[in-house]
Amino acid sequence: MKIPHHKALHALLAGILAFMATSASAQTPPTPVGYVKTVTGQAWVTTAGQRLPAAPGTAIMIGSQLKTQADATLGVTFKDNTLMSFGPDTELTVDEYLYEPAQGLLKLGTNLVKGSLNYVSGVIAKLKPDAVAVKTPTGIIGVRGTQFVARVEEVK
Amino acid sequence: MNIAHVVTSRMFQLTMATAVVVLLGACASPPPPAPPPQSYVALLPSPDGSIGKVVVQGQRGEQFLTLAQQGALLDGSQPPFAVSTAQLERDFGAAMKARPALPEQFLLYFEQGGAQLTAESQRLLARIVERAQTRLSVDMSVIGHSDTQGAANANEALALKRATAIAEQLRDLGLKNAVMVVESHGERNLLVPTPDDTAEPRNRRVEITLR
Repeated sequence: MKIPHHKALHALLAGILAFMATSASAQTPPTPVGYVKTVTGQAWVTTAGQRLPAAPGTAIMIGSQLKTQADATLGVTFKDNTLMSFGPDTELTVDEYLYEPAQGLLKLGTNLVKGSLNYVSGVIAKLKPDAVAVKTPTGIIGVRGTQFVARVEEVK
Repeated sequence: MNIAHVVTSRMFQLTMATAVVVLLGACASPPPPAPPPQSYVALLPSPDGSIGKVVVQGQRGEQFLTLAQQGALLDGSQPPFAVSTAQLERDFGAAMKARPALPEQFLLYFEQGGAQLTAESQRLLARIVERAQTRLSVDMSVIGHSDTQGAANANEALALKRATAIAEQLRDLGLKNAVMVVESHGERNLLVPTPDDTAEPRNRRVEITLR
C-alpha cells in the first residue's frame, strides 16, 4: 500500500511542478509600449536591469530608463502616437503606461531626471488629459493636448 | 604719510565712489534682467498648428501656459514669461531635431458582411506599404471595426477577421518584418454613431496606423 501511495504523491507533485512551469512560461511576455525611432550618437535603453544600446526598433517597456550621452539624441514613438525626443545628456524613465482605449484605461507617467525633452501629445492626452504627467525634480508638467519642450538642469 | 597709507586711502575713496554709483544706479534704473531660466517648460504649437495648454505644478506654485512660446519655471515660482526662438533653438534644437516622424493613419472600408475590401480601399493597400517602407523602423496597428448590424459577438469576430485578413495582405505585399499589433474593436468604436442593427459602410473598416 505504501509504495503506490508514494507514487501517487510523486505523480501529484510532478503534476503540480509541471503545471507551475507551464503557467510560468504561458505568461504573456510584457508588450512594448513604444519603440526607438531616431538615434544620433550613443544612447541607451535600460529595462529590468538590462542595458541595450538604443537603435531604431529598440523596444521601450514600462520601467525602461532612456539615457543619452553628452553628444547624443534619441526619439521614441509610443503606442498611442505620443512622440518624445531627447537632447544630449538626458535621462527619463517611463513609470506608467496604460493604453486600452476600449476599456478607458489610459495613463502616461514619465520622470525627466535631467536634460531636454520635446513632447508631442498622442491619443492618451486627447482622450484623458489628466492621465499625462511628466515629473521633474522641482515640479510636475501636465498637458492639455499640445506640444511642449522642457529642460531640467541637474542640481550639482 | 607713507606710500602704503596713500594707496589705502585712495582705494577707500574709490570703493566709496563705486558704492555711491551702485546705490544711485539701483535707485534710477529698473532691476537687471533675470538670468536665463534653468529648469523650465515652454509651450509650442502642435504639429497641426493648434495650441493646447500646459500646467506646471511646482514646489513653489502652479502656472498655466496657454500661448505659443510661453514658458514657466518648473518650480512654479514665477509667472509665465516669453521664450525667444533663439533660446528655444539653443536649449531644445537637438531634442526637436530628434523628433520621430508623425504617425500616419489610413482607413480601409469593406463590403457588407465579409472581409472583402471595397475596390477603392484595395488600391490604397499598395500606398500603405509604400508609406511604411519609407520609415526607418516601422511598427503598426491594424484595428478591425464593424457596423452594428447583427449580434455584438459576431461583429467582434467579423472585425477581427477583417483585421487579420488585412495584416496578412500587408505582409504579402512587402511588410513581412514589420511589428504588427492586430486587434478587434467590434462594434464598440463606431466612426459614425448609429442605433443598433444598422448597416453603415463607414463603420465597416480597418484602421491602420504607421508609427
